[in-house]
Amino acid sequence: MSTRRSYLIRRVLHGLMALFIIATMLFFLFRLGLPDPTAALITEGLSPEERERIRASFGLDRPIWEQYFIYLANILQGDFGYSFHYRAPVADIIWERLGNTMVLMLPAILLAYAVGVPLGAWLSWRRGSRTDTTGIFVGLMFRSAPMFWTGMIAILVFGIALGWLPTSGMRTLPYEATGFFDKIFTLDFLHHLILPALVVALYYLGSPLLIMRNTMLEVYGEDFIEMARAKGLPERRILYAHAARNALLPVVTQLAVTVGLAAGGQVVVEVVFSWPGLGREILNSVRTSDFPLAQASFLVMAAFVVTLNLLVDILYTMLDPRVSFK
Amino acid sequence: MKNKIRAGVPIKLVSAAVSVGLMVAGGQVLAQERVASINLMTTTESYDPIRYEAAFIIAERWRELGFEVNVQPTEFSTALERFYDQQDFDATILGWSGRTDRLDPQFFLSTLDSRQSNLGGNNPGGYENPEFDALFDQQSQAFDMDERQRIVQEMQELYKPDAPLVVLFHRDEVVAFNHDAFEGINPMAGEGLYSEWGPMEARPVGDRSILRIGGPQEPDNLNPLASTSVWGWKWMRLYYDRLVRLSADVEPLPWAAESVDQVDDNTVAVTLRQGMTFHDGEPVTAEDVAFTWNYYLDQDYSYFNSYLAALERAEQVDEHTVHFHLSEPSASFASISLSQIPILPKHLWEEIEDASTLSPSQIPTVGSGPFVHERFDRGEFMALSKFEEHFHADEIAADGVEFIIYADMEGVYTGLQTGQIDVTAWRMEPGQIGLAEGEDHLTVVNVPDFGYFHMTYNLRREPFDDRAVRRALTMATDRERMVNVLLDGRGEVGSSVIAPVNTFWHDPFVERFDFDMEAARAELEEAGYSWDDEGRLVR
Repeated sequence: MSTRRSYLIRRVLHGLMALFIIATMLFFLFRLGLPDPTAALITEGLSPEERERIRASFGLDRPIWEQYFIYLANILQGDFGYSFHYRAPVADIIWERLGNTMVLMLPAILLAYAVGVPLGAWLSWRRGSRTDTTGIFVGLMFRSAPMFWTGMIAILVFGIALGWLPTSGMRTLPYEATGFFDKIFTLDFLHHLILPALVVALYYLGSPLLIMRNTMLEVYGEDFIEMARAKGLPERRILYAHAARNALLPVVTQLAVTVGLAAGGQVVVEVVFSWPGLGREILNSVRTSDFPLAQASFLVMAAFVVTLNLLVDILYTMLDPRVSFK
Repeated sequence: MKNKIRAGVPIKLVSAAVSVGLMVAGGQVLAQERVASINLMTTTESYDPIRYEAAFIIAERWRELGFEVNVQPTEFSTALERFYDQQDFDATILGWSGRTDRLDPQFFLSTLDSRQSNLGGNNPGGYENPEFDALFDQQSQAFDMDERQRIVQEMQELYKPDAPLVVLFHRDEVVAFNHDAFEGINPMAGEGLYSEWGPMEARPVGDRSILRIGGPQEPDNLNPLASTSVWGWKWMRLYYDRLVRLSADVEPLPWAAESVDQVDDNTVAVTLRQGMTFHDGEPVTAEDVAFTWNYYLDQDYSYFNSYLAALERAEQVDEHTVHFHLSEPSASFASISLSQIPILPKHLWEEIEDASTLSPSQIPTVGSGPFVHERFDRGEFMALSKFEEHFHADEIAADGVEFIIYADMEGVYTGLQTGQIDVTAWRMEPGQIGLAEGEDHLTVVNVPDFGYFHMTYNLRREPFDDRAVRRALTMATDRERMVNVLLDGRGEVGSSVIAPVNTFWHDPFVERFDFDMEAARAELEEAGYSWDDEGRLVR
């Protein structure tokens, strides 16, 4: 047990270390790489003195090291600061947008895996057949088709030509929601979710499908499958109870990475469907050089990936006793 | 380092020797040098394909003229920074948008004022003409409209032959509305259909009585003391009143003011319309007006500083009268400044010490305007309802205004096509115009713009320090082709920083610099330039 605990502690420390390095890199990357946040105000006719005052109100007139330490100290206290552009606390903006992104991405990813995993297992069973070839082809096709294209086709067919589904946003406006859950537990929301979620799910479908199929093929060569066959177990039972369980490991890793990166949203889908998610917000924050918002968004994304990687490592030890704590 | 310097000396000696050789051979001074090459900075193709393509149209002709030209597509904010803050450019293609208050010639003329040529100023090209500067001061203090018009036109005739910049074109704003849902909106130059009058003019002809506007831009915030985007004010002006509103022809119409009078050179008196109330039921008084203006002065809100530059203090004289004390006579104060500053309720703002730090939920959104603020869901939606107590309410047919925020113009167009919105807030993409014209329920409107896209030369650098070169390059800029090909004819070739559509201030007699390669060559020859064996320009 003590090896396990020290392993966990070590992993958590590694994760925190990684986040610290990422936070530092983000801070300097944006300040050195992005144009001045007040540059866009020139087109509004603001004079250099007025822009200098605005810069000072953002704290950008201070030495960069001082800004950096203030930034670190604030992060440690969970304070992401104030958005230059929106003049609102960054945390409020990010949590709302992250929620919007997750209610789109999680169902879509789960759908992709719920369909992709059994389908992949089934294809491996029918390997070499026409079904197998077709399945691989379809999976690869949606994986390689640009999402803005599938999205636009979906809008054209189901939104405009057939008029079945809404083409933009999360809800029919005007709609007054008092809270986040108020907003998403409605039929209207589900109605809006269908098209974008399907487009995202189709895109993600290929990974679990192909990984599952290929790992299954490897597992079929293992001794314990031979053993099960010798015992005279039905083929279906061998497939799902014995082979599939052992083929799940790489799929779980893939799922965790996918969910981790999902925090950043799929900018393309969010743009095509005008979905108010974090991906669009990140893009805007970089465009407007909104340092606090951009830093925090990327940091949240990084924290997601780090945390999920940690969870996967722990999950591994449960799924496969052969994986030990080193 | 030392080695490099030593190595440099002999090379210089060699080139000097070559020059001497030429002198001897030709029997005259022939130390001709090729003209400096030109970096032409423009936007990236994804930011604006039109300005991107324009740069290549220009470069092609300039090369024909014997210049070496390198087109540099640059990310937009970086381009702004290099152009204005660092003045690190040879020639740059950018633009000024046509905001209503810029119909007054003050702003666009100031972009050629030498006092704006410092780093960060509005005259990055560095044009310097003392006569122009002197006239600029004269016009900004001229109260007599005809007198001011004469000076403004003289200024245009003055700078134009020097060709410090090329006004490339004025791009029409092409917008569309659903005539099965709403009618009666008059397009306004520089504003399209989403002007401050639009929602007041819209008449429902379908089932819905709330006007729905859609656009890809949203306010940065709705803080009247912190917003720094035109999209914030386009929305806020619907629920705040101003003392004066500018008509579609930019005539200042008394609005919350009953009358505006010039008391003396430095004092403007405003008599307030009686019986107005704020949306919370409190009366609008001269005290609120004086408070608002002084509050803006004290809070030092950058976005309005140019409107407040001439104001020293606002003073409440009696229940209905406010005196504005100016530090110097200002021609634009009564028309432009009075039409831009909203009236804030004193009882909600006086306790707020630093208004710029308010978070969205703390901002009082109470105004006295024709519409009442209902909500702003960032990234999704904004809503206003009609204010029945407003003095203009009888003229307003719509019951409210909703603004749906899309991620891009593609989404906006789909919204228009499917009837989700009635009006586009922003110009359509060139590809959408033809589609919209094919739809039975849509009317497409071409609105001329007085904002302009320009190419500015850096007068501090070779070869642009030579007036003749600038003139020749301008003549070799095929703007006709830009309008015909890039804008599909929806626009006008630029002639002056004051657009032709701005009829009162525009000077129709400015030198036009029509596209003419022969004239460009002649201009260069006359100035002592010639071409070498490879066709490169030398002097």
